[in-house]
Amino acid sequence: MATLTEATATRRSAHRVRRRRVKAAPYLFVAPFVLVFAAFSAYPIFFALQLSFTDWHGAGALKITGLANYRYLLTSPDFWQSMATSGALWLLVVPAQVMLALTIAVALRKARFRGLFSAALIAPFVTPLVAMAQVWIILFDQDFGAVNHGLSSIGLPTIGWLTTSAWAKVTVALLVLWRTTGYAVILLMAGLSTIPADVYEAARIDGAGAWQQFWSITVPLVTRTLSFVVVIGTLTVFQLFAEPYVVTGGGPFNATRTAGLYLYKHITNSDLGLGAANSMLLVVMVLALSLASIRLLRSREDS
Amino acid sequence: MKSVGRYGLLTVAGVISLAPLLWMMASSLKTGGDIIARPFSFDPGQLTLTNFRSMLDTIPIGTGFRNTAIVVVVKGALTMVFCPMAGFAFAKYAFPGKRVLFATVLTTLMLPTLVLLIPLLLEMSQLGWVSTFQALILPGAIDAFGVFWMRQVILAIPDELLDAARVDGAGELRIFASIVLPVIRPGLAALGVLTFINIYNDFVWPVVAVNDEQHQTLQVMLSALAQNIRSGQLGADWTSVWGQLLAASTVAAIPVLVVFVFLQRHLIKGVMAGSLKG
Repeated sequence: MATLTEATATRRSAHRVRRRRVKAAPYLFVAPFVLVFAAFSAYPIFFALQLSFTDWHGAGALKITGLANYRYLLTSPDFWQSMATSGALWLLVVPAQVMLALTIAVALRKARFRGLFSAALIAPFVTPLVAMAQVWIILFDQDFGAVNHGLSSIGLPTIGWLTTSAWAKVTVALLVLWRTTGYAVILLMAGLSTIPADVYEAARIDGAGAWQQFWSITVPLVTRTLSFVVVIGTLTVFQLFAEPYVVTGGGPFNATRTAGLYLYKHITNSDLGLGAANSMLLVVMVLALSLASIRLLRSREDS
Repeated sequence: MKSVGRYGLLTVAGVISLAPLLWMMASSLKTGGDIIARPFSFDPGQLTLTNFRSMLDTIPIGTGFRNTAIVVVVKGALTMVFCPMAGFAFAKYAFPGKRVLFATVLTTLMLPTLVLLIPLLLEMSQLGWVSTFQALILPGAIDAFGVFWMRQVILAIPDELLDAARVDGAGELRIFASIVLPVIRPGLAALGVLTFINIYNDFVWPVVAVNDEQHQTLQVMLSALAQNIRSGQLGADWTSVWGQLLAASTVAAIPVLVVFVFLQRHLIKGVMAGSLKG
């Protein structure tokens, strides 16, 4: 009996020593992440919040100006134009992307050579954005570009892809769609793969056609993935920077000056307080849009 | 779906995905005049390396490659070691402060990175880091997404496996290095591919953080070339400029495409894993 308790005691103390070591370990493991995170994510966010209430231009003391930056932005036509431009691009990109990606993913689900098709579809996603943006300038050039060359060779009128306000948005949207739709397809493939086959089996026995199966099984069951695709698309579009920066420089006549490019303008103008306020408004916008999209898609799920 | 429609659709989608890439590479080997006059023809007998030669004279693309390589290697290594490490702590330990910390990680995932642009730039200038490698490497290294993702992957490891190693007297770091890392190798491969592609293609931060050519990454260098063209600074010789641009874009695309061809399985698996947690 005595030996037994002794053994338990030694085991316990050994356990305690091990526990102490185990206690320190997780802190050491998260430490590098926490350090970088604190220094280059958390601190800058609070700094930006503070800056947004000042008229800081990059030098001198911080002068608190209260809500002046926010008031300025919310009454500035340029700010609203940049938001409207991002909104227009959202409309051009996100609904088209969701429909295209879902159709392609459904087609891909039972296809042969799935690996080959997926590889082709995801390839644009890995290409260097800046390189492809340059290719876009050349392909869509009004006078010498291959796209207009192709259009006129089949007897269609040529288009001012980069020189007219409306088409410039379309050209930028096409680049975003081309680069990111394959990514959405792969995401949706993952979502589709979680739907058990016997659900379709049962529907078929009940006499549901392909179209009915699509609407009453596939769409509701991938709602989670769909909302993920929409949220990622929303984040992408409202942060759009490199595409318009390289392809159009925000032109013509600021027609493609997205929220991201407008933010960048504050930096080049050294209006840093104003820029910080603009960032905060952008965060609110993106969060609101993402949450609204999720809410909208989830409500379909419940009904 | 009828199979004609299915394969028709997939083929069209596949062709559209690849066409701009193939067009870029094919055209980079054609003369400027040909790119414009015959954009869709490709005559293997007429190929030329002129565009590549004049591109090498116009931009110091070697410097761009070197800078990008430095950033990719260091930033990539930090991410590949410390994301799984933090993920391990979140997945397999109970410690005070874990909930708050993890909630913070989740919130950051939703924040647009553009928000950080201005304050980070100011932070860099306070530190005297503008136009340095530190500025390119540290912000964005060990990112919250990687930590979150690795946590999900490590959650799947059975606790018994770790406890058995503990009974055998293995230290926690040992357990991480010789049990956790080998087990999650597929997840690590996917994280590696995505990390490489993201860092290689990063543009917004490098364009803001660096003002001198010595530290410009490849992508920033390329965009400067495009800007010169838009503002007409390279003169009226459009045809030669287009050829150079296509040559530079092709050269910049090759490393990612090589990685992609060999590791696309991991990439696709990685993207799929990323969505299932959604």
